Amino acid sequence: MMAPLLEQILIALGMGVLGAVIFAGIGLISGSDETTTLAPLTLLVVLLGVPAPGVLTFFLAGAVAKHMTHAVPTALLGIPGDTLATPLMREANFLRNLGVPHVALRKMISGAVIAALIAVPMAVLFAVMLAPFGDTIKHAAPWVFLVAAIAIAWFSKGRLAAVLTLIPFVMVIVGLQSITGQYGVKLSVSYFLGIAIGPLIAALFSMLAPAERETMRRQEMRTFSLSPDVKSWGGFFPNPLKVLDRNQSMWTAMTAAISSATFVFSPVAMTVIMGELVGSRVRHVYHRLTTVIAARNGVTEATYIAEALIPLIAFGLPLSPVAAGPAAPLFNAPPRFSVDSATGQVNNLHSLLGTWEFLGYGLLAVIVAILVAYPFTMNYAHRAASYVSRKISHEAVISTFVGLILVIGIWEGAALGLLVIVTVGLMGGFLSRFLGFNIGVQFMGYYTAVLSVPALVALLGH
Amino acid sequence: MKSELYEVWGDTVDGRHLMYSIAIGAVVSLGAFYAAQYLFVGWVANEQMARAYAMLVGIVGCLVGGAISARLFKPKRHVVEHQADPAWRAQVLIELQSEFGDLGKMSDLPPETIAELKEMDLFDLFDDREKAAATPAKTADKQVLEPVMPIRANGGHS
Repeated sequence: MMAPLLEQILIALGMGVLGAVIFAGIGLISGSDETTTLAPLTLLVVLLGVPAPGVLTFFLAGAVAKHMTHAVPTALLGIPGDTLATPLMREANFLRNLGVPHVALRKMISGAVIAALIAVPMAVLFAVMLAPFGDTIKHAAPWVFLVAAIAIAWFSKGRLAAVLTLIPFVMVIVGLQSITGQYGVKLSVSYFLGIAIGPLIAALFSMLAPAERETMRRQEMRTFSLSPDVKSWGGFFPNPLKVLDRNQSMWTAMTAAISSATFVFSPVAMTVIMGELVGSRVRHVYHRLTTVIAARNGVTEATYIAEALIPLIAFGLPLSPVAAGPAAPLFNAPPRFSVDSATGQVNNLHSLLGTWEFLGYGLLAVIVAILVAYPFTMNYAHRAASYVSRKISHEAVISTFVGLILVIGIWEGAALGLLVIVTVGLMGGFLSRFLGFNIGVQFMGYYTAVLSVPALVALLGH
Repeated sequence: MKSELYEVWGDTVDGRHLMYSIAIGAVVSLGAFYAAQYLFVGWVANEQMARAYAMLVGIVGCLVGGAISARLFKPKRHVVEHQADPAWRAQVLIELQSEFGDLGKMSDLPPETIAELKEMDLFDLFDDREKAAATPAKTADKQVLEPVMPIRANGGHS
């Protein structure tokens, strides 16, 4: 019995290190969205047949590491490291203009460390409390998704427009599914990737339209001011509790705990709200900037961990914005993982791992990510930011993603897969830009098409 | 001559370089995928696994394509190493005040933060501001705009 367990732990450890290293690197590239990067790579890990603990540690360690290194472009270059870094920009820019971006960076990642460690046990605890309702929710899954889709749409930027846009969006997905179905092709990854990468597809199409192209034209290159390097502590591994003062540690821990519980809300919204909550209670402006930035980055970690773990442990259904987006492959990755709409039958990490395993492997993933990303960010932030901004052109980043679209599309469904990615991506990209019908709502739209529509049709047929 | 620079997906690119990069990315990634698929389907018994491995090779191909583009086309960014200058810091305080209203009192701060501010050479900046705020408004603005302490090259220790 011992040998297989040890083997599982070693695999989990290895996958955790791999995830942490890959996503610590991706986090340095500004504007690399979590969903576009975490979802396809996690999917790949699932489909390659990595054992369940390894899949979990890869995803969690990747998410935690990315939300630490995204502090580097945010603090040093003044550009958001990814979507969740945008609510941190105001504080980061003030601290940068005060000439202390290294303080912003250190407070951010130290907040991340504390919050990540708290979020795992909290998430498991909340999941255990919710688990008794699991069966009921599983049986009502198609309706739960319908309600969740409408709720998430309502709370998006588009409000009523987003709720109403769900209808045509779902129609298009149902239509695409029946077309590919005629050729015996059933796609899922292509939809995810199309939604996740929609903004890029929309931007590339815009480049081809003369009028849009003119509005995108720029007269000069963008200027990035990189702050000077400051190493101001001894040793390689600083103590996060010393980087933050007692107040800051307390606020970070408290907001992390709160945001672990509110797993159904958008992570960006939680990051903003928790920041305001803390900011209104700290009097001096410098102390407020540093406390808010630590707490906010902590929340980016905590919401990601909780929003992935709670639905996974309690229901096995992707019932949160993170679970429906970046963490989607943990729930649904046919042929290996699946959620059956009709029976509420779930076959994914939920059924493969027990609660204690979630706790143990979750903590393992977080610790691995901290050991990789925390000292790296503290010691090499300046060099990394300088390398990325001087050597990696945006053309190269786009080229990589275009390659990804082609390979994944053709791998899943040959020409049909590719067509689905482009169709869904173009439509979703523009809907998100003009109506605030964001990526999270689009993912819920996909689930509505797959799970709720068949139930609705059955209901109306009788 | 018209500029060939465009803002796409959050950063600036050169139109022609972007076209070449996309072509390189497409050829390298798909080339890797098809070559791997051709080889693996012969070797690996389970066809589904063979295709999954081919996808992995294809993704490595994406990264190789990206690396080639990075080598060929330099970033369209001006990166300047910059030191916030003292006059600007005073300006930041004014912005902070318009954003948050009251800047708060030094007496509200825990000792750790006071020490942090001193190490960062920011203590006098905030302290002067607070004293200035206590005196009538006109002199306050004048005092704030005076250059604050010069920034040390290493930016202070903590």
